[in-house]
Amino acid sequence: MLSVRNLSKNFDGIPAVKNLSLELKKGEIFVLLGPNGAGKTTTLKLIAGLLHPDTGEILLDGIDLKKEPVKYKSLIGYVPDEPFIYNKLTGREFINFVAGLFGIKKQEYDKRLTELIKKFEIGNWIDEPAETYSHGMKQKIVMCQLLIHEPELILIDEPLVGLDPKMSKIVRETFIELAQKGKTLLVSTHTLSFARQIAQRLGIINKGELKFVGTPEELARIAGREDIEEIYLKLTEEN
Amino acid sequence: MKPFFLLFSTRLRLLFKYLTPSEHKLPRVTFFIIMLGFISGGYYIFFRIFKYLNTVEIIGPAVMSRTIEMIFFVFFIMLLFSNIISSFSTFYNNQELHFLFSLPVLPTTIYLSKLFESALYSSWATFALTIPLIFAYGIANHARFIFYPVTFFSFLIFLLIPAALSTILIFMFIYLFPKLKPRNIVFVSILFIMSLIFLYIKIGNPDLLRIFETENEQELLTFAANLTTVGGLYIPSTWLSNIFKNFLAPDRTGYLYILLLLSTAFSCVLVSYIVAESVYHKSFLLVAEQGGKENKKKSLLASFQKNPVKTFLTKDIILFIREPVQWVQLSIFIILLIIYIISLRRTPIYFGFSLWRTIIAFANFAYVSFVIATLGVRFIFPAVSLERKGIWIIASSPFSLQKMFFTKYLFYAVLAVVIMECLLFVANIFIRTEPVIFRFSLIVGFFVALSLISINLGMGCIFPQFNEDNPSKIASGSGGIIAALTSIAFIGTVIVIFSAPVHNYLLSSYFNRPLNLKIIITAFIIFGILSFMAIYLPVRYGLRSLKKRDF
Repeated sequence: MLSVRNLSKNFDGIPAVKNLSLELKKGEIFVLLGPNGAGKTTTLKLIAGLLHPDTGEILLDGIDLKKEPVKYKSLIGYVPDEPFIYNKLTGREFINFVAGLFGIKKQEYDKRLTELIKKFEIGNWIDEPAETYSHGMKQKIVMCQLLIHEPELILIDEPLVGLDPKMSKIVRETFIELAQKGKTLLVSTHTLSFARQIAQRLGIINKGELKFVGTPEELARIAGREDIEEIYLKLTEEN
Repeated sequence: MKPFFLLFSTRLRLLFKYLTPSEHKLPRVTFFIIMLGFISGGYYIFFRIFKYLNTVEIIGPAVMSRTIEMIFFVFFIMLLFSNIISSFSTFYNNQELHFLFSLPVLPTTIYLSKLFESALYSSWATFALTIPLIFAYGIANHARFIFYPVTFFSFLIFLLIPAALSTILIFMFIYLFPKLKPRNIVFVSILFIMSLIFLYIKIGNPDLLRIFETENEQELLTFAANLTTVGGLYIPSTWLSNIFKNFLAPDRTGYLYILLLLSTAFSCVLVSYIVAESVYHKSFLLVAEQGGKENKKKSLLASFQKNPVKTFLTKDIILFIREPVQWVQLSIFIILLIIYIISLRRTPIYFGFSLWRTIIAFANFAYVSFVIATLGVRFIFPAVSLERKGIWIIASSPFSLQKMFFTKYLFYAVLAVVIMECLLFVANIFIRTEPVIFRFSLIVGFFVALSLISINLGMGCIFPQFNEDNPSKIASGSGGIIAALTSIAFIGTVIVIFSAPVHNYLLSSYFNRPLNLKIIITAFIIFGILSFMAIYLPVRYGLRSLKKRDF
C-alpha cells in the first residue's frame, strides 16, 4: 500500500529525518511514536506531500508522489497537529470546501456528512463560524473533513489533542472501523496508552531515525518486558 | 514603565524582522538598495517639480506652497483612514491580545505599545514618500541645515496625531454602540471621518472644492498670491507645511508651529490614553463576546459543491466578504474612485481645447494604472499568503498549487481588467478624449492590468507570509514593498515608453508636424516585450517558488 524508501530531510543542514524506510499494508494502523522533535511531524508532512524530501521516494499503490502528485493526493487525507480552519468559515462550509477540492459525489457526500455530524456530535456547531470554536471542536471538524472523502491512506498527527475522553474513545473506535474497511492509517502520537490501544504495528522514532518497527507484542518480547513505556523511554533516552 | 519598554522593544524587533526580508532569502543589502532606489527616484521627481516651480514667477512659489499643503493634507486624511483600519485589527482583532491581557500588565501599557505599532504599520508608505520630499524641497529651496532634522522630527510627531485620533474614535464607537457589529465599526468610523472632512472643507474652506476658472492672466496671478491654506489653520497638516516653509529661512514662527504640533500630538496621545484607561479593556471584552454572537452563516459554500475551482473561488469570495479589513478598504478605494471620476466630469472650461484633453487623458491613464497597482499590492499580493496555515489543506489535496495559482490569477485578472477598462472608459467619456487616444488607452490598459496582476500575485508567491492574519500587514511587509516598487517602476516605464509617441501625435495633430510612425511602432514593440516579461516572469518564478516551498 504505502512504500517509503530511504527518506531524508534536512532543515538548514540539521537532519530531521534520516534515511527512513517504511512499508504499510492495506488496512493497517501504524503508530509512529517518539518524543517532541523526534521527526514524527516531518515524516507525516513528507508523506502528505507538504515537504519536499532531500532524498528517497514515496509510493502509494505504486503511484509516485513526485511523479503523479495529484493522483497520489486524491488518495490521501491529512490532519495536522494544529487543526487550522479558516476563522470566517463555518464548520459546514469548511467541510464542503474540502469535499469540493476532492470532487466527491453528492450522494456520498450527503450520506457521509449526516453520519459524521451524528458521530462527532457537531450538529449544534456546524453552522457557527470557526472563530467561535474551541480547540476540541476544531479537531472534530478537521476529522470530519478528513473522513468526508474517505481517503485510502490517512495521516494523522497527534489526533487526541484537545479531545475529551468521550471523543477520544469515538476517535479510537473510528480508526479501528476505518482499518476494518481496508483504509490504512499512519498515526503520530506521543501518547503511549493510545498507541497501545490502536496500533497493529508501531515505529519508534528518535532524532529522525526509526529505532524500532514491529508489533507492540514484538517490542515487548525483544525487550523482555511487557511495559512498552519503559522500552520507549530506553529507545529514546538519548534525547 | 518597564513592561511598556519590554512590550514595545519586542514589537520593534518583530517589526524590524517583518520589514526586512531575511526569511525570503533576499539579502537585506538588496532590499535596502531597492528602497534607496525608490527614495532616490522620489527625490528626483519632487526635485524636478520644485526646481521648475521656482523658475515660474509669482505663481510658481504659490503653487509650490499649495502643493506642499495639499500633499500633507492628503497624507493626514489617508493616515486617518489607514490608522482606523489598522487600529481595529491591532487593538481588537489580534490573537496576541488574548495572551497579553492574561499577563500582569495594565491595559494602558498594552495600549501604548500597540499604539506605536499601529502608527508604524499605518505610516510606512507616507514616511517613505516624505523622506525624498524633505530633501527635494530643502535642496530646491537652498534650505539651511537645520531644516532637515526639524522637518524630519516634526513629521514623526505629526504621524502620532492621526494614530491617536483614530484609536479614540474606534474605542468610543465600540463602547458607545455595543450593538454595532465589530466588523461595521471600521466602516462607520471611516464614514464619520469622511463626513467630518467634507463638512470642514465645505464650511471652513470652500475654496478647496472650487475650481478656479479664468482666462485673465492678472486675475490668475492675484488668485495665486491670495491662495488660502488647503486644510485651514486648525489642521495639523497646515502646521507641518508651515514648518517646512518657515524653516527655509530664519523665521521664528516655525518654532511656534513645532510647539503647536508637539502640544497637539501630546494632547491627542494623552486623551487617547485616558480613553483607553477607561474603555479599552471593557471594549475588548465586548468585541470578544460579539465575535461569538455572529448570526448563523448562509452562503453558497453551505451547500454541496461539485466543481473544485468554483469551490475554491467561492471560499475566497466568502472570506473576503466576511473580513472587514478587506471590504472596508475596498469600499474606501471605490468611494475615492467615484469622487475622482465625478471630478473629471467637472473638467473646467479651459480644458475644452483638444490638446489639453489629450494631455489629461494620458495623465488619467497613468493615474488609473497607479490605482490598479495600489489595488494589486493591497489585495492581490496578500492573496496567496491569506491561505494562511490552511495552505496544508490545498497542498495535501488533489487541487494542485498550480491550479490554485491560476484560479486566483484568472479571477483577479478579470476583476482588474474590468476595473481598469471601466475607469478608463468612463473617464475618457467625461474628458471627451478623442477616439485615437481613447482606443490607445483601452488597449494598453488591458495589458497593464494583466501585468500588474502578474507582478503582485507572482511576488506574493515569492514572498508569502503564511503566519500573518492581517492583509494590510502582509502588503506592507518587505515583499509588499518590493511588489509596490516593481509595479511603480513598470508603470513609470510604460509612461516613458509612450510619452514620445504621444508627444509626437500631439505635435502632428495640433501643430501640423509630420507623424513619425517609426516612434509609434517602436514604442508598441518595446511595450509588447515589457508586458510579456511583466506577465510571464512573475508567473514563472512565483509558481516555481510556490512549488518548491515546504509547508
